[in-house]
Formats: sequence, structure tokens, C-alpha cells
Amino acid sequence: MNKLILGRYFPGESWIHQLDPRGKLVAAIYFIGILFFAEGWIGYLLLLGFTLLVMQMSGVSLKIYLRGVRPLIWLILFTVTLQVLFTAGGTIYFDWGPFTVSSYGLINGVFIFLRFVMIIFISTVVTLTTKPIDLTDAIHALLRPLRVVKVPVEDFALMLSIALRFIPNLLDETQKVMDAQRARGTTFGEGTLIQQMKTLVPIVLPLFVGSLKRAEDMADVMEVRGYQSDKPRSSFRQLTWTRYDTVSIIIMLLLTAMLMLVNRIGAYY
Amino acid sequence: MGKISALQLSYGAIFVCLMAIGANIVIWFPFLAIPIGGVSVPLSLQTFFAILAGLMLGKKLGLLSMTAYLLTGLAGVPVFAQMQAGLFVLFDYTGGFLLSFLVVAYVTGWLSERLIPFTLSKGFFIATVGVLVNYLIGVHYMFIAMNTWLGLTISYSTTWISMTPFFIKDIFVALIAAVLMCKIVNRIPKQIRLNTH
Repeated sequence: MNKLILGRYFPGESWIHQLDPRGKLVAAIYFIGILFFAEGWIGYLLLLGFTLLVMQMSGVSLKIYLRGVRPLIWLILFTVTLQVLFTAGGTIYFDWGPFTVSSYGLINGVFIFLRFVMIIFISTVVTLTTKPIDLTDAIHALLRPLRVVKVPVEDFALMLSIALRFIPNLLDETQKVMDAQRARGTTFGEGTLIQQMKTLVPIVLPLFVGSLKRAEDMADVMEVRGYQSDKPRSSFRQLTWTRYDTVSIIIMLLLTAMLMLVNRIGAYY
Repeated sequence: MGKISALQLSYGAIFVCLMAIGANIVIWFPFLAIPIGGVSVPLSLQTFFAILAGLMLGKKLGLLSMTAYLLTGLAGVPVFAQMQAGLFVLFDYTGGFLLSFLVVAYVTGWLSERLIPFTLSKGFFIATVGVLVNYLIGVHYMFIAMNTWLGLTISYSTTWISMTPFFIKDIFVALIAAVLMCKIVNRIPKQIRLNTH
């Protein structure tokens, strides 16, 4: 279960690993945003090239990226197939009832496929090169302006860290409860809907009460150590913004400019 | 928003973990799939815990806790269904269900703050409203996602029909949430809710 707390973080020393998590997160969201503005072959190739370059620079092998795509491959193929079969226009290669395979449909299918793959790859780059704990710090930092509208950002960040710390414990506990109920002879997966739902109660109730007890213990410990929600807090981990981070943001802006240029050129063809 | 106590903080955090477990409960129980009209629907307890978060924590802390859950997942901890994580999940066609948990917790929390003292029938009512909110947002998001950025043309009614087995399952699960809440309602510390008076 240790695998879970680290998420899918892949340790490394690459340029991408060393970027500030705040910048990385913003850049990834921004990139996914501009993906939707790509038009035509050149635009898609430009973005795909950029994605592959970033993946290459992260120093994580392609195999691990592909592993991230695998659970989603059916969804992607399904979407692409539907897109190909139901889009008409251009040269028609094949026609059977409501299904047509046309050049327009095929091109559209490829574009949608690429868009999917790039979204997955770029978000995988972030999760592979950043520890979840750093990302929660980044989220905390990025939410800080919300303090103005009275959002309790500090408490919120602490809640995230506590949750991260507790997830493995609670997963273990779930396993224990389930084993215990099995040993008592509870049968799962049989009977009517109502009967099945009834078997859920002996799993959920102990899990629930157990976790509430954990929460109360945690709260007691925090009280004892003098936790005050409205006092300024310091952090063991400090995020540092370097000039590389500034460079990466500038690269994103340049990419946008290039994409707009490419779209403009593409419009003449 | 008032000061958040350590107890409220840790309760909120615990619900993040419970959501993660609820989303992936099939990992321990692959056979916990519910047959509805010939379709085997994999069990998930996300709606269940989102409703409980509202019932127990109230609207504000419930909303806060669900937001924390979403952000944990977006930060790359595999807490979403099928151990997924990352930004992509929100762009997927089921992303609306995740977003709706925020509203579910808020609405059920708001209702439960109004309908006191808690009884089983009130619990049923609140839980059903929770599921309705969940599906209203989730299915509409799905419809919009498919017809815009996923590039699929799916009719509005097909989207709803495809989600019906899940809906039936979640209604039942929600009723269990009400029963469970009834059993533990007296055990919850009074000071857990934010500004409920």
C-alpha cells in the first residue's frame, strides 16, 4: 500500500523533476487548455512534438507512460471508432447503412485520438515527476489568493496532508474488516439486490466507526500539541521558484504563439 | 467561515480517505457487482460517502472535505475509481460525477441542518435528493462532454438510459447511508458542524 501514498511518482533527477510543482501544475493545465485550440495537421504535430519532447526530458521510459494509457485505451478506441463511423464528408471509402468511413471522419478520428493521448501523457508527466506531497503544497500555494474571499486555505492544506497520511492506514483497515467478516461467514455477491445491500452494512459500519475513532484520536493529538487554526504556520518543505520555472512558463507562452501562427497559416490551405 | 477545530479538520480528512475507499471497494470485492436488468453494475460507494459527508459534517465542512478529495486525486494520488488520478479524470465523461460530489455534500448538508432532529424518513429523503443531484449534474456533464470535447454524438435520452442501472444501484446505496446515519447519529460529536446555529 506504500505504492499508493507515493501515487505514481517516479524518482528522478531530470530537468522536469526539478521544476517547481506550482509552475508544473499551472503549465500542465494550460497545455491541456490550448490543446483544444489546435486546428489541422501542423498544429497537432507541433503539440505532439512538444509532448514527446517533455516526456523524453522527464527521463521516464515510454513504457511507464504507456502503462498509464492502458486502462483508458478502450474508451479512446471506442470514441475514435464512433467518430470515424458517424462523421461524413470528403471522400467516402466505405458505406454501410448508417456507417460511413470517410476521409473527413478518419482525419477527425486521428485528431481526437491525438488529443486524448496528449492529455493523458501531459498529466502523467506531472504525476510521474512530482511527489503528491509537493503537489498538495503547490495546490496550497495556488489557492492562497482565495484567502481574500475567506476560504480557509491553510486548514484546507492541512486537511489534504492528513488525508494523505491516513489513506494507507484506512486501506489496511478495510482489508481487516473484510477478512473479519469473511471469517464470520458473510457471503457476498449472492441473493437479491436487497440482500446484497444488507451485506454491505457489516463492512461499512465497522469501517466507518473505526475511522471516526481515528479522526478523534488525531484531533486529540493536535489539541495536545497546541494546534490553532488561525495562527500563522510554517512549513518543513519550502517551494522555491527558480529561473528555470520562469523559462518553462515562457516556453508555454511561446508554444501558444506558435500554435496561433500555425493555425493562421493552416487557414490558407 | 469560523475557526476550524482540529476535530473538524480530521473528520474532513477522514472523509477524503473514505471516498477513496468507497470508489475502489471493488478491488477487495471483485464480485460485489450488482445485477440490475441483466447488467452487472460494479459497486461504488462514492455517492454513499458523499451523502454521509453532508449528513455528518454539514454543508460547509462537507463541501470542504469533498473539495479536498478532488484535489488529492488531481494531485496524483490514485483515489478515484479504478485507482485513477490526475487531471485527465475531470475531462473524462464521468468527470461530472466527481464534480457533483461537491454539490451533493453541500445540498445534503444544507438539508440535514434544516431537518433536525434526524429521523430515518428524513434520512431517506435527504439521501434521495443527494443521489438526484449527483445524477443530474453527472449525466448532464457526460452529455455535454461527449457532444463537445470528446466529439461523440449521443442523444440526450441515450445518456440517461445508459446510466439507469447505476442510478438504481445508487438509490439503494443511498438508503443504506440513511440507515447507517440513524445508527450512529448519537455518536457524532456535537461540535463537528461549522456554524450550524
